[in-house]
Amino acid sequence: MAKRQRRPAPQGEFHDPLSDYGDEFADPLEEALVRRPISAIQSQPVAKVAPTDCVKAAMRKMDEQEVACLLVIEGDRLVGIFSERDVLDKVAPRFDQVKDQPVRDVMTPDPVVVYETDSPGSAINVMAVSGFRHVPVLDVNDRVVGIISPQRVTAFLREHFAQTA
Amino acid sequence: MSLKQQILSDPISEIPLRPALTLPRSATVGQAVDLMRGAKLGCVFVVNQKDEPIGKFTERLLIHLLLTHPRALDEKIGDHMAKSWAPIQRVEPIARLIDLMQGLDLRFVCVVDDHGRVNALTGQKGLMEYIAERCPRQVKVSRVGSHPYMIQREGA
Repeated sequence: MAKRQRRPAPQGEFHDPLSDYGDEFADPLEEALVRRPISAIQSQPVAKVAPTDCVKAAMRKMDEQEVACLLVIEGDRLVGIFSERDVLDKVAPRFDQVKDQPVRDVMTPDPVVVYETDSPGSAINVMAVSGFRHVPVLDVNDRVVGIISPQRVTAFLREHFAQTA
Repeated sequence: MSLKQQILSDPISEIPLRPALTLPRSATVGQAVDLMRGAKLGCVFVVNQKDEPIGKFTERLLIHLLLTHPRALDEKIGDHMAKSWAPIQRVEPIARLIDLMQGLDLRFVCVVDDHGRVNALTGQKGLMEYIAERCPRQVKVSRVGSHPYMIQREGA
């Protein structure tokens, strides 16, 4: 990304060094990644499941809704994520034994999250650092308001090319 | 160079690529599952004798199979693979990868050599890492119910 470049202060006048920067971003895409709200790349509504729902029912919901993960919500609190990777790692090797067990037993607990005040760029960094492809978005009260997925990020990038081409 | 210019001009080889998992069509679905679990990857490409991709098997297909045909783990992957897959070469621009993934709703794209043989795997995760490396910033990694901690990500 381009470095911030400060404009020179006029001779003899007080100048707040933190207030007068030139163009901070090299192109509108970079600016959008930092300045746009996270809602620009989040999906709503999110696919949910209760921790007490059985594994097979959760998988059926993923299959029917063609989603890669379900947020596991207890009351109004996020307690985990049940993803395609959980199916591959924990369900497929012993499907007959676990298909009727509660999702709680095979979900990924304590998922990595971002907050709706974060930027799209920060969310992408969190995805890259944590290694999770789907990251729930929470509000200030820790309630789920959306989810970030790579599909929405690529759509965001592609939309931006179209807008700025 | 701006991020947009980099995406338009950088070749696919700038993205962190992963070794592609391949199996012949005579392998079983169970073998594909074992391979994917071992490599922590969500996709296996099914190849012919020339090592050219002829299909793919993904985690999403696995979920559908377990629900509709749970005995399929012992059957041939060639009977259950998806025949839709997209090839891309290392020298093509990253913008084309974005077009492919978005236009065809793909999570994985097969990187092939000049002869059309499977060479590597790329996709959503690699693209996220590429973007993140080019907009380094302090990242707040938060887990539900815990205090956030900071990670300084300084690019590549």
